[in-house]
Amino acid sequence: MSGVEVRARAGLQKITASALGPYQSAVIRIGFSATWLLFLLREFPHRQELYGPDAPWSWDLARQLIADNHAFTTLMWSDGQAWFETVYAAAVLVSALLMLGWRTRAMAVLFMVGVLSLQNRSVFVGDGGDNVLHLMSIYLVFTRCGQVWSLDARRAARARAAGRTDEETVADDRVGPVLWSVLGAALVFLTVTGQSDFTWRFLLDPPVVPLVLWSVWLGCGLWWYAQRRGSRDLRLLCDVVTNTAHNAALSVIMVEACLVYATAGWYKIQGTRWQDGTAVYYPLHLDYFSPWPALGDLMTRFGLMVLIVTYVTVAVQVAFPFTVFNRRLKNVLLVFMMTEHAVIAVTLGLPFFSLAMITTDAVFLPTSFLRRVGGWVGRACGRPFSRAGSENGVELPARRPEPDPAGPPVAQPPPARP
Amino acid sequence: METETGAAGEAARPSADRAPSAPADEQTQPAADTALDDTAARPSGRLGIAGLSPGYQLTAALALAAVAVVACVHVLMVFLYVAPPNTLTKRHGDLVDEWIYPEFEQNWKLFAPNPLQQNIAVQARAELRAPDGSLRTTGWYDLSAQDGAAIHHNPVPSHTQQNELRRAWDIFVSTHDAKNRSTGLRGDLSEQYLRRIIVLRLDRLDVGAKGDVVERVQVRSRATTIAPPKWSDEKVSQKPVYRQAPWWPVTKHDAPLDSGSSVRAGADDSPSAKGGVR
Repeated sequence: MSGVEVRARAGLQKITASALGPYQSAVIRIGFSATWLLFLLREFPHRQELYGPDAPWSWDLARQLIADNHAFTTLMWSDGQAWFETVYAAAVLVSALLMLGWRTRAMAVLFMVGVLSLQNRSVFVGDGGDNVLHLMSIYLVFTRCGQVWSLDARRAARARAAGRTDEETVADDRVGPVLWSVLGAALVFLTVTGQSDFTWRFLLDPPVVPLVLWSVWLGCGLWWYAQRRGSRDLRLLCDVVTNTAHNAALSVIMVEACLVYATAGWYKIQGTRWQDGTAVYYPLHLDYFSPWPALGDLMTRFGLMVLIVTYVTVAVQVAFPFTVFNRRLKNVLLVFMMTEHAVIAVTLGLPFFSLAMITTDAVFLPTSFLRRVGGWVGRACGRPFSRAGSENGVELPARRPEPDPAGPPVAQPPPARP
Repeated sequence: METETGAAGEAARPSADRAPSAPADEQTQPAADTALDDTAARPSGRLGIAGLSPGYQLTAALALAAVAVVACVHVLMVFLYVAPPNTLTKRHGDLVDEWIYPEFEQNWKLFAPNPLQQNIAVQARAELRAPDGSLRTTGWYDLSAQDGAAIHHNPVPSHTQQNELRRAWDIFVSTHDAKNRSTGLRGDLSEQYLRRIIVLRLDRLDVGAKGDVVERVQVRSRATTIAPPKWSDEKVSQKPVYRQAPWWPVTKHDAPLDSGSSVRAGADDSPSAKGGVR
């Protein structure tokens, strides 16, 4: 075999044998679900005005717009107050469960449904932060984001510690099949009753979200069947496809992040204010984005400082996509971007936007750093996290005399699915 | 392969720079597999596509190809969507839009090409009919100033304060021509939306006395250029620029939430509900 062929085979093997970036996918799962959860709790007193049936953007106005753009939202299935409250409460609950990693795949799907339902119901109250969450909630569905730092991982580790095989664990699981059946019944009901979101209008214009829901549901069913009755090949095939989808989705998330920065950076270069080095001054003096005007004044007191921040911001945004292949440089830029977003959270009064962006940045953090943070959090919070964080060391004693600086191998718990 | 999962987590770096990455020659392959077998607690041997029997390998390859195609097409479409209009998008822009809308819409031109350099305040006034039948017009209420006050020293501003009115006005402007005529469905919807926000806000401000009925409302924007920095020698006019929409009659249909008590009943409401009393 030629060198190229060997490398191609090895690469193929790598992306089909494992779901890469377990810590990165876990950290974005926790970050995005926490952002949305905190947002929903913060807006709880304002939920009627933002998304309720009688909001300024009324149910009827939303119906007319959605008849035109065909966006997915469960809130259009009824204009009742009870239905709205149910959806809102469910969105809160599901965000919390996804954050904890309970039945991660099912919760990721429901999380997406919750995010799309509320955001598509009132598209005109959102901002950049909502936009990030909207996209990421869809991508997250395809990732195995519960491999570590999740209740699913903890359950799997306990089952292994008790000496049970994956097959036995699946056979004993009651919650998964129940969850799967309930969600399946809901899907069948919605499809049969022909909810507008579920109709296929043109051959080339499929209803994307229902298609995703059906695919994931059928995939989960097949996975369960393979574990229970399938041949070794079928089980492995399921694993291969799931890993491939995960790795593709994680790549898409990273490319999306690069496109966000590239777009933000390259368009800025064309702006006269970014060229003359005063751009950063202006957002800090917009009435809608200056909760602390004195702070804004202080930060823009010196022209030279504003010039430096303005230029560095553009340079970092433009440069970032090109540095992801250089570990050191990438990490330096990551620190800068995360810090800048943390500053934006306070100075521009955009905490949820900033949290969503910091989470997006976190997908690029090195594994060694994430494991260390996991260890700290574990020690600070007690058992649940520390277990998930250190289980690999416990379950799988180092088989090498010198542990890899990248850490011991990551155990692959069975995919967290209903 | 399993051994490097932790390090390979940095999927951004195709060639992990410390973990023993994809074996460069065939000699390392068996070693990696042995390591896999005794750590992964899977008695079944190799994972990944290499562990499958030929028939299943074909299925896996097809699935892999499908996933790869969808992911690549998606990335390409997102790229074309965020890129400036170009040879490709001028010809096939509708294809890109078809893919992107409605769920993958995105706008990352944050503060670009130039940050907004004006404070745009949305103001509203109402025409009230008193119980004795007389009409009067209120002064202008600066609704954006109230948003600003709510945001002041607030670490977590609500979307109702930061986005609702601000974006409603943006959308109204972008879907109306210079003479405030709607340019389509979105224009009509945005007009109703803005009217409903104004009725809600004016109701919360308790404009008018007890028994007054809001007959019509009017909205305008007041744009003021942000004063240049102290250290700049730029001179800009601080004179506000106004844009004023026509008077809009309002009924109960324009009154969201619990703001309907001071407006007229709609055409299809019962006549007895007319002339609501606060």
